[in-house]
Amino acid sequence: MKDQTTKLKFLYRLMLVTGIFCSIVTILLLLNFWQIQHNKPLDNVALKTLVDRLTADPNNDALKVDIRNLDLLARKAYFNSEWQVVTGGILLLFGAIVFFTALKVYRDIQAKIEVPVDLGRNAAIARILSQRWLLVTIGILFVGALSASYLSKDYLKIYNLSVNGSLKTGNSQIQQVNITSAAGTVTDSISKNDSAKGPKATVLLSIAEIKKQSNSFRGPFGNGVSTHKNIPVSWNGAKGTKVIWKVKVPKSGYNSPVIWGDKVFVSGADNKSEVVFCYDLLTGKLLWQHDAGKIPGSPAARPEVSQDTGLSPSTLVVDGQRVFAIFPTGDLICLDMDGNPIWSKNIGEPDNHYGHASSLIALQDKLFIQYDSNKGGRIIALNVLTGNTVWDIRRKTQISWSSPVIMVANNKTQLVTTSNPLVAGYDTQTGKELWSVDCMSGEVAPSVCYGGGLVFAGNDNAKLVAIQPGTPAKILWESDEILPEVSSPVVSDGLLFICTSSGTIACIDATTGKKQWENDFGTGFYSSPVITEGKIYAIDMGGKMHILKVSRDKKIVGEPTLGEKAFATPAFTDGRIVIRGVNNLFCIGDK
Amino acid sequence: MRKYITIILFLLTLTFSSFVNGQQRFPKPEFSTGYVTPSPTTPEPRASLLEYTDVVILVIVLSIASWIALKKRSRRLMLWLSVFSLLYFGFYREGCICSIGAIQNVTLTLFDPLYAISLTALLFFLIPLIFTLFFGRTFCAAACPLGAIQDLLIITPFSTPVWIRKTLGFIPYVYLGLAVLYAATGTDFIICRYDPFVGFFRANASFNMFLIGAAFLGLGLFFARPYCRIFCPYGAILNLMSRFSWKHLTITPAQCIQCKLCSTSCPFDAIEQPTEDQKSDELQGVNLKRFIIFGLLIPVWILAGGYIGSKSSVFLSKANPKIYLTELLIAHPELKNDVNNIDIQTFLTSGKSFEVQVKEAEIIRHKFYIGGWIFGGFLGFVIGMMLMNQSVFRKRKDYQPSKSDCYSCGRCLKYCPVKKDGTVDEISKDITH
Repeated sequence: MKDQTTKLKFLYRLMLVTGIFCSIVTILLLLNFWQIQHNKPLDNVALKTLVDRLTADPNNDALKVDIRNLDLLARKAYFNSEWQVVTGGILLLFGAIVFFTALKVYRDIQAKIEVPVDLGRNAAIARILSQRWLLVTIGILFVGALSASYLSKDYLKIYNLSVNGSLKTGNSQIQQVNITSAAGTVTDSISKNDSAKGPKATVLLSIAEIKKQSNSFRGPFGNGVSTHKNIPVSWNGAKGTKVIWKVKVPKSGYNSPVIWGDKVFVSGADNKSEVVFCYDLLTGKLLWQHDAGKIPGSPAARPEVSQDTGLSPSTLVVDGQRVFAIFPTGDLICLDMDGNPIWSKNIGEPDNHYGHASSLIALQDKLFIQYDSNKGGRIIALNVLTGNTVWDIRRKTQISWSSPVIMVANNKTQLVTTSNPLVAGYDTQTGKELWSVDCMSGEVAPSVCYGGGLVFAGNDNAKLVAIQPGTPAKILWESDEILPEVSSPVVSDGLLFICTSSGTIACIDATTGKKQWENDFGTGFYSSPVITEGKIYAIDMGGKMHILKVSRDKKIVGEPTLGEKAFATPAFTDGRIVIRGVNNLFCIGDK
Repeated sequence: MRKYITIILFLLTLTFSSFVNGQQRFPKPEFSTGYVTPSPTTPEPRASLLEYTDVVILVIVLSIASWIALKKRSRRLMLWLSVFSLLYFGFYREGCICSIGAIQNVTLTLFDPLYAISLTALLFFLIPLIFTLFFGRTFCAAACPLGAIQDLLIITPFSTPVWIRKTLGFIPYVYLGLAVLYAATGTDFIICRYDPFVGFFRANASFNMFLIGAAFLGLGLFFARPYCRIFCPYGAILNLMSRFSWKHLTITPAQCIQCKLCSTSCPFDAIEQPTEDQKSDELQGVNLKRFIIFGLLIPVWILAGGYIGSKSSVFLSKANPKIYLTELLIAHPELKNDVNNIDIQTFLTSGKSFEVQVKEAEIIRHKFYIGGWIFGGFLGFVIGMMLMNQSVFRKRKDYQPSKSDCYSCGRCLKYCPVKKDGTVDEISKDITH
């Protein structure tokens, strides 16, 4: 007993000493920790003052020595404090071990057997109580989780909605109010954009406004029908007759010229650069050129492309405030009308054995890209202001080189594409497929055209079809007599025109599919025909423009020549045609 | 004699380990100024031989612990074995690798095809489970360093009412579900990040983690093993497996004589009392109705839990670094100009478009949505089963440790006066807590 009392006394004193020791060490550690937090060498005020002085007086050697000495002192003090913390920690650990061991032994010696408590019926009540508290706990947890979920902002969702333009975000980069009244309905509207780059106001143009321009491949909306007037029917490119201007485009490309107002845009590319050029429509003067430069994600080397495709085959699109260009590398750039970059991105190098050639098209606040490749079909819609994806759909189609067309019917718009095997129409707002027909095959390069409520599509070694879009869409007629290979068909006044790579132009009744006439002009067509003022303009690869009346009878109006080869489709504006030869850009018209 | 063998083995292991150095795949540069590279946040990789040595030691410790609990029945030996585990797995191995954290490694390897779990981590996860299936929670008794450090600091444990224990017993399942969710989505290893004791093992942690660890140890003075009982996610799994264990520690080595001496011996309230003197028929009737109702409600719990879990995916996913960064840039685009924000600057110089970043974040959020359904459904199932379990009234004749809650620490063994041959000893005064 006496031994036990002595033991207890000793243990009590040991606990007291180690307890006090541990408390002192803990306080010192906390103070030291506080010191480290507030005296970091990199945040030393005196040091910063000296460094600022050195910046103003960089040749002051004495100041440099002072800085080094002060820095060394500050670091020494910091690491000294760190060492103290570590040492203090070890001391605290040993002190705590001794303290708690003494405490345990003390408790063990003092331990007594306790009188057990008889729980009796309380066990059952305890279970019921447990159940109640479990239910309360789970209730609190569920309510808490639900509250947290409703209070949390899903910024990803907010971002996607703001990109779609259907939400006023208050985000300073995107403040866009889309006041289109229904999906695909086009109205005049104004939205504001206070982005640091690009125009301050974005004007969403009406159909009528766009039709005045020649802003995309095959004219407004890509349909190959122009409303321009006083288009010349004769010229001689080699002699300069009716050639207002002719300029050599510094970089080659098979893309077609586009016109907006008094500006003409083309692009060109080689292994060194991808460039957009802007020429004055009136004088042919090069107003500006912009090199796309190194876009993040752009492949290190140019992709393998065929000679017929080249490194710049896709035609640009202009929406009046921005110019968009795409290249087979997947590089996509957006410039303002003065050539200043707004945004650029690489949407991934496509797996395309000839090279990506589909042209761009735009409507309102969206830029559309038909991006079919060997990895599958894809159509992307980007916000014209930011380049952010609005929608991006994958579809079960094979690779294609055709371009999307915007079909305007009853003041509603849809994006119409052709590929293997689908000819389909998509809601421009959402990308939702509105209709489709499985009717095409092969390597599809010609784009669709539409007119008279019908959509026409064709491809070599496949067929030519007339489709009545709707739910479901129906094939009205189909033919395999004369088929386009590269050139896209065009329709107007109930007559469909096909240009083939072998040099044939054929006229087909759009409603019945019955051939009206055909003529072999000897030289094949890569460019697509355009109809304006009741005449069809089709330039062959030799540079000869075949101008015929839109008529059930073959009536040749003229066959002026460019003086060089041409693969691109001409662009039209009142009184002028802009034609891109393989070397030069021509503006044809009355001087 | 056996005691000496144990001590010799322990010393040999330490001596052997100290001579073998781990190999660095990319050796650090040697500075002529004598600069010492600070230790990384995770322990340096070890040679494979030493990793397998850890596994062998784990198996040995578990085997010895099982033998102590079932055959030797000695609290003192179990205590010293837990001290060894604390020193070896805790301070020497710096708490890594541990079986608790291995849950995440296993989860990640199941959900990420690019991650291959090491054999060591897999064995650290599986071996204690196997031992538990056979011999009960002997891992908790003597092999887990987290349990050991808390166990050594139990001074004056107080008993908690059943309803508190059962309610708190739900939390480990929540933690387990969250740990699996975050590991499966590649977000974080939260068990490791928020291990309260690893800072002590490594003598290196943030101030807050030290504080949390100290708080756990301080609480553990009076509420025995707070981390094990309230949080341990591995314990939630062991709890389930131990219910089906082939053998388990018993308080009495022979027939229980109902002396009630052991009833307050367990600091973890893991001893179940006999029920023979209760009006069991009446209670059974009441509880059967509850049992059926709670059983029928299980699908409702699962659906409700799954729904809430899916809704919670938004705020739960904000812990993912990619989602956090993306949402930060959306909410505060001006931060693109903040040169001091390393995460944003790293992203901006990566060449990746913001659109791609958003797409990747959306994919992760969708994973959280699916994971939220599963996590919530799992919790709903657990709560349903716990409620059902509380309705089950099991008749018990003797004092026996709860198979699910008992850590097999052996504290109760000294309280029992019954010997192996069935005779009754005098009341022992030599009681060690």
